[in-house]
Parts: sequence; structure tokens; C-alpha cells
Amino acid sequence: MSVSGADRTRKLLTVGVGTVLIVVMGAVLIAGFRLATQMNANVAALQTASMLQTYPAALAQHLTSLRDRLEARAYAGQALADLRTTVESFDRDLKRLASGPAEGPMQIDQAMMLWRQYAPVLEPVLAFNGQPYIDTDEAGSVLSKEGLEHYADVKRAHLFARENADRLQGMLAAVATGLQQQASAQANRLRLLLSAGVIAALVLAVAAAYFQITRASHERAAREAQEQTRDILRTVKEGFFLLDAQYRIGSVWSDALTRLFGRQNFAGLPFEELLKDLVPASTLATAMKYIKLLWGDRAHENLMKSINPLGQLEVQVDNGRGGRETRYLQFDFHRVMGPKGVKHVLVSVSDITSNVLLARELQESQENASNQLDMVLGVLHVDPVQLSTFLDATEAGLQLINAILKEPARTDAEFRKKLDGLFRELHSIKGEASALNLMSIATRVHALEDAVSELKKRAELSGNDFLPLVLKLDELMAHIKTVRELGTRLATLRESALPARGASQGGGVDPNEEISRTLHSLADRLAAEHHKRFKLAINGLSEMPAAYRATIKDVLIQMLRNAAVHGIEPAEVRRASAKDDIGNVRVDFRRVSDGYELVFEDDGVGLSPEQLKAAAVRRGLITSDEAAEMDTRAAMALIFRPGFSTKDDVSMDAGRGVGMDVVARSIYALGGRIGVSTQPGRYTRFKIALPATEEHASTAVA
Amino acid sequence: MTTANGTASAAGTKRSFKLLIVDDSNIMRRRIERSQQFDELEVVGSASNGLEALELFKKTDPDLVTMDITMPHMDGIECIQRLVELKPEVRILVISALADKATAVDAMEKGANGFLHKPFTDRQLNEAIAELIRGL
Amino acid sequence: MLQEHELKTFVEGTTNYFEVAAQQPATVGSPYLVTDGTPAVHDYTGIITITGKREGIVYFTAPRAMLTVLLMKMQESDFSHENMRDLVGEVANTISGNARRDFGSEFIISVPSVVSGEKSEIPLAPGARSFVIPINWRSHSAKLVVSLK
Repeated sequence: MSVSGADRTRKLLTVGVGTVLIVVMGAVLIAGFRLATQMNANVAALQTASMLQTYPAALAQHLTSLRDRLEARAYAGQALADLRTTVESFDRDLKRLASGPAEGPMQIDQAMMLWRQYAPVLEPVLAFNGQPYIDTDEAGSVLSKEGLEHYADVKRAHLFARENADRLQGMLAAVATGLQQQASAQANRLRLLLSAGVIAALVLAVAAAYFQITRASHERAAREAQEQTRDILRTVKEGFFLLDAQYRIGSVWSDALTRLFGRQNFAGLPFEELLKDLVPASTLATAMKYIKLLWGDRAHENLMKSINPLGQLEVQVDNGRGGRETRYLQFDFHRVMGPKGVKHVLVSVSDITSNVLLARELQESQENASNQLDMVLGVLHVDPVQLSTFLDATEAGLQLINAILKEPARTDAEFRKKLDGLFRELHSIKGEASALNLMSIATRVHALEDAVSELKKRAELSGNDFLPLVLKLDELMAHIKTVRELGTRLATLRESALPARGASQGGGVDPNEEISRTLHSLADRLAAEHHKRFKLAINGLSEMPAAYRATIKDVLIQMLRNAAVHGIEPAEVRRASAKDDIGNVRVDFRRVSDGYELVFEDDGVGLSPEQLKAAAVRRGLITSDEAAEMDTRAAMALIFRPGFSTKDDVSMDAGRGVGMDVVARSIYALGGRIGVSTQPGRYTRFKIALPATEEHASTAVA
Repeated sequence: MTTANGTASAAGTKRSFKLLIVDDSNIMRRRIERSQQFDELEVVGSASNGLEALELFKKTDPDLVTMDITMPHMDGIECIQRLVELKPEVRILVISALADKATAVDAMEKGANGFLHKPFTDRQLNEAIAELIRGL
Repeated sequence: MLQEHELKTFVEGTTNYFEVAAQQPATVGSPYLVTDGTPAVHDYTGIITITGKREGIVYFTAPRAMLTVLLMKMQESDFSHENMRDLVGEVANTISGNARRDFGSEFIISVPSVVSGEKSEIPLAPGARSFVIPINWRSHSAKLVVSLK
């Protein structure tokens, strides 16, 4: 673009210099020729003038000679002839000088005037052609009558000529001098002109030479630029080309284009043609609409960039071995503006296949973290009963982890508080998995544990940081499920191989039975972790209708955790309060007339209404005045208030309210009610009433 | 533009433009009306679907339109096409939560002049409208 | 298996709405898994259905109190039932837009639908993995539920 502009300028300059050279030389030549012609005429005139100067004297001389001859009666014919010749020559030459091409000085006119005065005087003399003498006897030859007149004429003319010869000669001398001056002036002018011509020619020659040199250097620069452009186009990894207003590819493109699209010649190729066999029709249509928009002025560059539909284009290309392969191309479009709007669109294409594939592989490797074989081998080596116990315990642990996550949190402190609990749970699961050589599980738990440790180091924790945890937890739960299924299938295989044993545990696994198992494992785990000793007794859970199962399972886990961590006292404390070392936690589920009843009771430390009230005041749920007026019942109900356990309070009054508002909420969602009663130091009892379900109603009728 | 506008600007008063707001959400319509800060804009109507927009457009002859895409009874893409057929010089700002490129390209191809993404700040809205007015 | 970046897209779509529409960012609460099959539902819920590479639903559910304050922040004075529905619909719309931008044609996303009432049951796709991400804004808490397989 800029190179061709400079080119044009240089061409114009060269042509200009040439023209000026011709004009100047022509002017010099023409002027010189004219001056020279003038000078020639002048020189001739000068010669004439110089010659003419001698005439007045010669004239006088001839007249003297004529007079003398007449006086001496000598032969006067020759003298008269000479006079005539002289007068004629003078007259001719003078007239020629006056009318000559050379500009005569003004003295010539004076000379002419004076010469015209000669004419009447000389006329009679020159006109004489008679016999001047008569031969007489007495006096010999005497002047005849004609001769006497002639003699008088000659004497008059002689006198006139003598009188005027000097003047005339002076005038002619002045003419000569004038001509001389003119000639020298002309000579000067010619010299000047020639010098000017030479100088002009020199200047122009230098200028031409300069332009020639600069043009050469520009050409060299242009050539170098061209070479560089070629080098760039040859080596650059991106495909570059220009599209014209007909959406055709221009004559220049980078070599990478060949590699990207597997063809050689792109010149004039319509963009549509370039993509046609590579992408689906709908993508092609969108792409072409977009290209058309680029030529319009409706959308500015940033908007166009933001709606580029070819930012990551999946294409099918020949792999050079006769097959097709998928590649991902990224197209970028830039408008190239000309004076009349968009001139070209510069398109760059890069192959981002490796980036896309890398991201995909990463994703897949994450998804396939499970080594199937590992898992199968692991499961094969574990005793089915042991495996089942382990899986129960692990599921309970994971439920517990989820319960920890479920506790609402807003502040860094609240999030941080979760980490220890999570870590503890994970650590014990990992230990057991490793002990059983269930590496596929151990590895996953380990990764989760690492993620938790990583979070501990973070400065400001928020829910976003927990998103990876919850995903990993989900994945682990799914994996546990897979392992359980595998275990069940293997057990079935074993049983069919040993038919003698028969069906020991009935048909399928009762889901309520499973909840009991989970709760027992969880109780064991919690007791061990918190150095508590207690017995868990579960009754009537088989009565539970399926509709309540999931909610009640969550509720029981939450309450069991509260009881084990905060309710049941350590053995030495119990002993001091005259209680059994071993605490008791009871779960009773039963049908009642209008539905179901669930009682959850522990014989631990109990709830203190005063502490609950104080906590509620601190959390802004009630005012201290309201607290003062509250009876025990109302105070107890505080732990079900939304927000009771959501506010930022790390100490949590021995944590008795942890999650109870959440529990209450899920009970309400089932249309149930929840109540609590307690005796400080003796027990805490939650009573949950649930409405009859259709299942229940129908069985009741039956 | 029209002679009326010409004389108006010659008389020294600010050129004014008529704006039609099309969005199926009440909140969004009111938000756009409230947040635009152009004295020269007069909101001449708001429609909650494409058909309604078409009717109002014929009645009020606006210069500017903000257009939602996902709407019942004729979506934004089709509506843009109809409006441009009625009045080719109308300027249309698409305001949509749809963020895929094909939708944007389609809207622009049918004649939209700008694209604003939901949710948007007041500043983003005003910048987008200013861009549109500049083209009038 | 749902990827972290996918989950983040939905979360960011939600928090971004608050930041932009009410000039006050929402924070993400402690996320957890839905293990009992029915995650909690608040007063108003905007739902989008997803098919394609992933299948399932994503919904935003919020209590009336939160939506009221949000409307106030948006200088709305109409706190009608209709406007509440409108608002959760817009949030769902934004989440959907965000997902379309990030996932392109891999995800086919429905037009949002809205249900109201705390008792509403939103059926999760069987076999889907469901995540609950509490969205805290001012003193209120809403939930984003992502249930995809």
C-alpha cells in the first residue's frame, strides 16, 4: 500500500524532471538561435557601418578631385564616374543599414536625413553628361557654358560635402558604436543564456541522477519488503488471506493455508467454497451471513468480533492418507478500510485442534479416573460381608460429609469450620479403603482430601471454592454405588457357584434395612472419632413408607451427628453425673392412628433453655425482652427457627442447634411437625409426627 | 430525515427520536424505559411479543426499537425482519439473554444494528443506545 | 460426569444477574449434593430444561422476600405475583444465555418456565446428579439446583 504510493510519486517526479529538461533545453536553443541570427545581422551591419564611415571623406575627396580637374581643364570623366560609384554605393549601403534586420541605432535616421540633404546638391553634378570644355584658340581649352554650370555645381557640392563630411562621418561612427554596443550586449546575453542552459541542464541531470538513485534504493527496499512479506507468509503458522467484496480470496495468502485446508491454489476462491465441504450447512449459512455483515457498516468492529461464529470451528479435512480427520480452526476477521468503506477483510485462521483436544483429554481423563480393572480386582479380593460393611460405613461417612456441606455458610469462618470435619471423615474412609486394598476408592478419597487441604491454605473461602469438592464428592458417591453393584453381582455369582447355601437374606435388600445399617456404621464412626461410647437402638424403621425414606434418612443422620458430637458426654463426664459410661441413642418409628411417629432420643447433656434463648438473642432472632418472656417450651422451639444455625457464630452453644432448622424445614415440607423436649443433664427427645401416606392408607384399609 | 425533523433542528430544538420497547418481561420493559438517559428519546410504546410490536410499530412509527428475541407469538428474529420491511431505516437494538453467535448473526443479518446481552448495566444500555442514535 | 467449569457457568450466570441487575453481588454458599431426590423449593422457581450433551434441568428458586428486595433494588414498585414470576424467569433466562454462550450447540436449552409455591415439586431427571448451590444475597438465600446427567 505505502510502497506503491511512493512508487507513484517517484514516477511522477521522473517524468516531471524529463519534461522540465526538454522545455529548458528547447528554450535555450530557440533563444540562442534567435540571438545568434540577430548577432549575425549586427555583425554585417557593423561592417557596413564601419565601411560607410569612410564614404563622407571619400565623397569630399572625389568632389575635390573633380573640381581640381575641371579647373585644370583636365579630363574629369573618370572623377565623375568614381563619384557616381561612391554615391550609389553609399546610398545603397546606408539604406540597407537603415532597413536592415539589425536594429539600427537612432543616429542612422539622422545620418539618413543628412544624406537626403546631399541629394539636391549632388543631383546636378551627377546628372552632368555634356562636354565641359571647348577648345579655343586664344586661350586653349576653356569651360563651355555647360562646363561652367557644371563647375559651379561641383564647387557647391564640394563645399557642402566638405562642410558636412565630418558630421555625417560622426553620425555613422555613432551608428557603428551603437551597433558595436548592441553586438557586445547580445554576445553577453548569449553567453549568459548558454551558461544558464548549462547550469539548468546540470541541475536537472543531478536531479535525475538523484531520483534514479533513490528509485533504485526504493526499489531495493520494496524488493526487500516483498521478500520479507514472502518470508512471513511462508513461515507464519496462521493462515492469512484477504477477502474481497465478492467474498473471494485475494492473490496473496500464507503457506499455512495449504496445510490447514489441504489445497494448493486459493486465488479467487470464494470463501463459501473454502468451507463448503468442511462444515455442516447451517454453520456455513451462519458464516456467510456473518461475512456479508462485515461489509456493511451496521456493526462496528467490537460488536462483529463478539458475534464471530467461527471462533472455534470443527471441520473435517483430508488427513493426507485418504481418510478424514476432525480439526478445530479459529477464524478471526479484521476489516481493512479503504476510502470508500471496507476494502478487504483480512482473515486469519489458526489450528487450535491441539488446544481443544488437550482440554478434552483432560476432561476425559478426569472422567475416567476410575481404573475399571483396579476396581474389579479390588472388589474380588474383599470378603463380601466385609465389603458391604465398609460400603455402608463409607456411604454413611459421605452422607455426613454432605450434611457438613449442607450447613449454611456465608463467612470465611463458617466455611473454614467445615474443613476440619470434612478432612476427618475423609481421612478415616481413606484408611479403611487402603486397609481393604480398595485402591480405586482410596485414590478418589485421597484426591478429595488433597482438595480439602488445599482449601485450608486459601485466604478467603467462599462457596465457589467448594464447588470442586462437591463435584468430587458426587463422583465418589457414584463410584461407591458402582462398587456396591459390582460386589452384589460378584456375590450372586458366588452364590450360584455354591448353590448349597440358598437364599440367606431373602430377595432384595430392604431399603429401610439399609438405612439402619448406615446409621449403625455412622454411630460407630462418630463414636470412634469423637471418643464417645454409646449404643444405638433402632426400632420400627421397616414401617417407614418409601415416600419418607429419603428425607428421614437425612434427618436421622443429622440428628445422630448432633447427638454423638454434642449430646452424649464423654464417659468420665457421665460417670461423674452418675450415669452409665455407655450412652444410649434410640430411634423409634411407629404407625399411629393418623400417620407415623418418629422419636429420636439421647440420654446426654440435654438442652438448656437459657442457652438457647441467649443464642437466639445474639443471632438477632429475638430481642432480650422477648427472651425474658419466653417459657421453656417456646425457648426449645427456637432451635427450629430458620436462621438459628445459619448465623455466624462459631461457638454455637455446644452446637445443639446445628442444622435443626434445616431438619425442621424438611419435616414441614413433608407436611409433618417436629417438637423437642429435654431435661438438662438427662435427655433430649425429638418427636416428629408425619401424616399418613397413600401407601399407609391403603395398607390400613387392607 | 423527514422535513419535520429538519425544521425542528433548524429551529434549534434537539432532534427527537421515537423508541419502541419490545420484551416479554414487564420488569425488563420498565427497566429499559427507566434506565435510558436520553432526553431526545421519547418512548412511544412497549410490546410484550412480536405481533404486538408489529401493531404498535405501524401505529407509532418509531425510529429506534429495542428487541427481545425469545418471545411468544412471533419471536424477535422474525419481528426484526418484518419491521425492517416496513421501515428500512429503523435502528434495532437486540437485548437478549441468548448469547450464542448464530442468534446474534441471524439478528444482525435480518437488520438489527446492535446487540446487548442480558443482564446489562445501565451504562451498557446507554452506550448501546448511543451507538444506535449515532447511526440515525 | 458434570464438569466443574459447567457447574461454574451456571453459578456465574446466577451471581452475575444480581451483580448487574441490582449492582450488588451475590455470594455462593456452601454447595451440597441432593441425596434424597427432592431438593428444597422456595416461593418462586425459574426452570430451564437441558438436552444434548447433558440432560436434565437447572433451576433457580428464591423466597418472595428476596425477590421483593431485588425488585426494590431494581427500582420496581410492583411486587405482584406476576412480577415475581417475571423476575425468576429473567434469572433463569440469564442462566440459560450464559450456558448457551459457554457450551454452544453442545447443549440444547429450553425457554425458561416458572412455577410458584413452596410445595411445588420439580421433578429431577432420574439418574441425574443433583447439586444445590445456595446463592446468598444481602441477608437472603436462594438456591441454584443443577441436576444433569
